[in-house]
Amino acid sequence: MSRVQAYGAAVLALVLLTPTTSHAQGRGAYPPSGTTPQLTFRGFGDVGVTVFSARQSFRAILGRPAGPLFGGGLELGLPKHLFLSVGASRFRRTGHRVFAFQGKVFDLNEPATITVTPLEITAGYRYTGPAQPATRAVASARLIPYVGGGVGWHKYTETSAHSSDADDVHATFTGYQVVGGVEMPLQKWMALAAEAQFASVPNALGQDPNGVSSVFNEHDLGGFTVRVKVAVGR
Amino acid sequence: MPFSKLIGALTGAIVAIGAVVTAQNGLPAFRALMSDVAPPGIDTGVRGADAPREPRPYNYDRVSRSSSLPYLRGSIIVKFKPGTAMTSQRAMLARAGASTMGAPPYSDFEIVTIAATADPELAAQAFAAQPDVEYAQARYRMHPLFVPNDPLYSMQWNYPAIDMEHAWDVNPGASSSVIVAVLDSGVAFRNQVVRFNIPAWSLTDGTRFPALGPTDIPFAAAPDLGAADRFVSPRDFIWDDANPVDLDGHGTHVSGTIGQSTNNGIGVAGMAFNVRIMPVKVISSLWDDVFGSPFEGTDDVVARGVRYAVDNGARVLNMSIGRQGPPAPVVQDAIAYAVRNGAFVAVAAGNDFQVGNGVERLAEFAPQIQGMVAVGAIGRDRLRAYYSNSGPYIEIVAPGGNQRSGGTVGGILQQTYDFSGVDTYLNGAARYRAPRFDMFAYQFFQGTSMATPHVAGLAALLMQQGITSPAAIEAAIEGFATDLGPSGRDDQYGYGLINPRASLRGLGLAK
Repeated sequence: MSRVQAYGAAVLALVLLTPTTSHAQGRGAYPPSGTTPQLTFRGFGDVGVTVFSARQSFRAILGRPAGPLFGGGLELGLPKHLFLSVGASRFRRTGHRVFAFQGKVFDLNEPATITVTPLEITAGYRYTGPAQPATRAVASARLIPYVGGGVGWHKYTETSAHSSDADDVHATFTGYQVVGGVEMPLQKWMALAAEAQFASVPNALGQDPNGVSSVFNEHDLGGFTVRVKVAVGR
Repeated sequence: MPFSKLIGALTGAIVAIGAVVTAQNGLPAFRALMSDVAPPGIDTGVRGADAPREPRPYNYDRVSRSSSLPYLRGSIIVKFKPGTAMTSQRAMLARAGASTMGAPPYSDFEIVTIAATADPELAAQAFAAQPDVEYAQARYRMHPLFVPNDPLYSMQWNYPAIDMEHAWDVNPGASSSVIVAVLDSGVAFRNQVVRFNIPAWSLTDGTRFPALGPTDIPFAAAPDLGAADRFVSPRDFIWDDANPVDLDGHGTHVSGTIGQSTNNGIGVAGMAFNVRIMPVKVISSLWDDVFGSPFEGTDDVVARGVRYAVDNGARVLNMSIGRQGPPAPVVQDAIAYAVRNGAFVAVAAGNDFQVGNGVERLAEFAPQIQGMVAVGAIGRDRLRAYYSNSGPYIEIVAPGGNQRSGGTVGGILQQTYDFSGVDTYLNGAARYRAPRFDMFAYQFFQGTSMATPHVAGLAALLMQQGITSPAAIEAAIEGFATDLGPSGRDDQYGYGLINPRASLRGLGLAK
């Protein structure tokens, strides 16, 4: 088990073992919970923007260090307001290969497409706050903050014009992520969330001298992501 | 005497340009363009069965001269420090018994006349010691760095050796927006008839040839180099006009490797086959010497050629020329000027490894100038060619050919003159006749002269690809080179063998 994987597993265990208060038991918290622990199951889709940690490298190739990503996944609600989610997202953008020299970047007009596809497992805790009156609707409009962390496998693909198989990159790197967000129930079966995530994928970049990331000494494929999620299910 | 009058007297005037000029050697010399309508060149095919000839070393000189010194007598090059008053300059010259011929066009230095009997080296040293003088040097002759060995794409092993086919996928031959100056013996770039007055002369071995008098010499454009619009701003600093025709074949061969018309169903390929070529003649050949050219390929002439090329839009300069002897600050200054003004310069590293491996004076300052590269040669076996100089100034290697290990076809194939029409003196005085420069053949040459245009061609491709800074081009060539010899930079292969495809593709994000 790699250091990153071990670190991710520790975060996951820590979140799962976090003691929870009993305030949410059967009192209309979202997701709804009854007098006995129950599992909930939701699907979600998200859209967001990632600012990559390797800012100079992404800016050199793609013209900007950030870009949109789209994703989705499944979330399992656990007792004690814990949850476990599995999500995948995809970033894909085409720029140009470059030559960097003494701080100046020369665009070589040779198309290069970068695709990053993270598959992330995140465990977290959803803070539902004090018990709500039983007469209130379940899907009240109050905000539910949540935090979590986990491990991710980031599939990285780099292809370019006039390349051979040996030139292209198809690799998967392991990293970890921490997330925080607020969720707003819209209906009984639907919620909207705004989420921020920081992911680190060390030693994924900067390893090959033919990469501009080695020129800029940038090694991390992770970054800071803000996204909006829509969850459906119970 | 206006040159047109002279022509009129001789021929009834067809076309006349130029003027009688006073030569570097003080003797009047002339040539006249008799017609710019002439038959096209004659292609006599591949000369692959001829015996190899050795690459041209530094001290290669076939014409018997009044002086065997490697520099001119009677004058030196002096650059005064900026701001030096004219009165101070004159006083200095007067004390030395010298006078100035002034600064010629495309120069920032002056040609100072000294006594014909004075030692130019000592005179230059005396001037250089003056506080108002930046540098002073004798007028050393430059030489092209090869020798033709008399003999199509399948025979051009040099391109597959550097993976050019894949590089052309990335950049198919640059474009006409990139101008490459060939500072050499001229280029066979137009059809014309030129009248020369051919005097009696002799070879260094004593063979004497009779005077032929005024003789019309046919010239033709090399058929595989392309149409006339490929050539821009031609300039001849040997004859001091705008007609830098090649009387040697070296410059034409070099131009072919840079930009030979490619994928045209004719002959052979070139590195950057869409660029435009600027022929800048700064090297005098045997026939230039015999015909009495007013100037020789001395340091000051080369320096002026470099400045002319850059001032007239060249962005890549190929200098398959060089010399040994003392340093050449006037050329170093000019090349630094070229690089400051956005031109990349490729210079041959020299062919003298087996004859002392002396320091090649143009190549030696390449490591000091980012944007100038000194080019060594390898053979088909990817080993340093036996003649290719080694030393701390070697920065890169490219295919230059090695006919000792690879036979005649181990050289670099390009179209240039059929030397049966040029070397008309080789069969003795009895069969001697005037040369002609309208017969072409595909010839295998070897030398660092042949390696250098591969680098110049690559630089042109890189410029077209988007790298506009000469220093960055050098970094892209060296950074992606295929390491040969000991790991890392070394004195035989520099950073290694050029890898055009990798340089053109540059850097991805991760790879």
